[in-house]
Amino acid sequence: MSGVLLQNIVKAYGAAQVVHGINLTVQEKEFVVLVGPSGCGKSTTLRMIAGLEEITEGQLSIYGKVVNRIAPKDRDVAMVFQNYALYPHLNVADNMAFGLRIRKMPKPEIKQQIKNVAEILELTDYLERRPADLSGGQRQRVAMGRAIVRHPKVFLFDEPLSNLDAKLRTQMRAEIRRLHNRLGVTSIYVTHDQVEAMTLADRIVVMNDGRIEQVGTPMELFMNPANIFVAGFLGSPPMNQMPGTVTEKGVEIDGIIIAVSGNLSAQVGRKVIVGIRPEHVSLQKEKGTTALPINLDLVEPLGSEALLHAQFGAHQLVFKTETQGSIDHLSDVSEVYVHASMVKLFDAETGEALPL
Amino acid sequence: MQNWNLYSRGDKLFVRINAVLIGLFALSTLYPFIYIASVSFSSAFAARAGKVVLTPIDVTLSAYAHVLSEPQFWNSYGNTFIYTIGGTLTSLLIIIPGAYALSRPQLIGRRFWNLMIAFTMWFHAGMIPFWLNMRDLGLLDSMIGIIIAFACNAFNIILLRNFFESIPQSFEEAARMDGANEFQVLWKVFVPLSKPAIATITLFCVVARWNGFFWAMILLTDEGKVPLQVYLRQTIADLSDDEEFSSTLIDAAYSVETVTAAIIVCSIIPVLCFYPFIQKYFNKGIMLGGVKE
Repeated sequence: MSGVLLQNIVKAYGAAQVVHGINLTVQEKEFVVLVGPSGCGKSTTLRMIAGLEEITEGQLSIYGKVVNRIAPKDRDVAMVFQNYALYPHLNVADNMAFGLRIRKMPKPEIKQQIKNVAEILELTDYLERRPADLSGGQRQRVAMGRAIVRHPKVFLFDEPLSNLDAKLRTQMRAEIRRLHNRLGVTSIYVTHDQVEAMTLADRIVVMNDGRIEQVGTPMELFMNPANIFVAGFLGSPPMNQMPGTVTEKGVEIDGIIIAVSGNLSAQVGRKVIVGIRPEHVSLQKEKGTTALPINLDLVEPLGSEALLHAQFGAHQLVFKTETQGSIDHLSDVSEVYVHASMVKLFDAETGEALPL
Repeated sequence: MQNWNLYSRGDKLFVRINAVLIGLFALSTLYPFIYIASVSFSSAFAARAGKVVLTPIDVTLSAYAHVLSEPQFWNSYGNTFIYTIGGTLTSLLIIIPGAYALSRPQLIGRRFWNLMIAFTMWFHAGMIPFWLNMRDLGLLDSMIGIIIAFACNAFNIILLRNFFESIPQSFEEAARMDGANEFQVLWKVFVPLSKPAIATITLFCVVARWNGFFWAMILLTDEGKVPLQVYLRQTIADLSDDEEFSSTLIDAAYSVETVTAAIIVCSIIPVLCFYPFIQKYFNKGIMLGGVKE
């Protein structure tokens, strides 16, 4: 059975449609991340699943039950909000107990539940504190605790880490994934941070402008983006993109022909966007690679890796390479090599990936 | 004062002038209290001769002895408590849910209802239609009439509505996800978060009810139902009209002035006692830590 099933889901505010008929199946126990730029409809979609926004058209099912007209409290879903939304007048234990008390769970059972969850989230020492007396990370854990104690069928996360600093975010990210591995609850997570999406998700749903651009595992999306938007959105730095023309031997950019794997004979003369990921070049010539002559203008060391900013013809490109403890050898780089299998082609007009 | 030495000369002057102005203002509000209290403890002669300025002259408790021995004083005192407590609770019972409903975006016709509420602040029918209305409803000379006629106050509703509107939406959403219905959202989340605003409104209601004089005078005829303020006026009138009492003034143990002052002191004491209990709710930052904006 699917955990959450979205069929032709549309959301409109008056005449303005913001989600245009999306279809998605989230499997039981799966961790799905909705990712996309601001205003792409990911939070609206999540809020429709939560029941905080009405669904204009389409059908939403949770564990086989159509919930379009069912109140949030009866959907058996729990949500972690971006701004925590902890009740400031209640202490940690009461915050977590709030939903259980409303559902009239017996007191000893509530106490036991809170004890268990506090242990999982390492909040045992803070149960008597108010939210104002907690750090950002602790508050976030309380917000998650409030969702976990209810044992819902589905967890919904609305950018839960975006208010934390970078270090805490990395830490909490790992905690959320560990928690998912431990509890195995179907989870839908919204973020605009592609690193969170890549690290957390079983499957990623890339959204743009109220539509789903691609659904797949993180590596599928990274290696085989369905279109230029996904290619540009996932990966840091993003994929280098240059306009080119397909020839019999490969793809031509400013008079240089780059070898591409696959059969291009049917595509000759087609205008394309050539995509090369910054990581997918090497500094050594190998079999099956094409040399790209570059004018290096900046080397940014990141520690174990460095970013090379370079001109290739009229195009500004970024490459990523290992430093091996020093960046001295990078200053005179004048060519990088790209393997034919790592060159991606997208139609210049539609932006769709060409089947190679 | 923090970093006083870092203040420029102009800033220091500004702070000093402020301190003087605030001091003068405090004095101007405090002095009437001191004066009335002093008069109430002074002899009738000293009070009438205008000798009392700051402290009591020829200290005596006879004015209090007279006031406290009057059964009608205690009766009206009790009535004032009934009108204040009953009226305030009725007001809160109407204002809190009313303000909550008006603050909700999903309320059908919200703009219209808000306008109708605000409308009563700008235009009202006036005294005589109101009296006629009360008469037709059978609420003249009725304690219930006094309590319910003034229970709904547009200003307080708008004040609380604005406070409710400032509470982040995610609290409501979190409560709804937790299973709360509208009433639970209101009583378990919004009311606790709005303590400062509700305390303010409670204080407004209590003070207005405690000092309520005009409408009680107009609507109530039965002496047994009048509040303290109406009784105070009657006492002043009665003593002033009492020629025998006026002629024996030099020897009298109390005068109109000292009795009036004693009643005023008695009527102020409960409000003074009440304020510290709600003062703790006038603290900002109750929402602190709940959400991160």
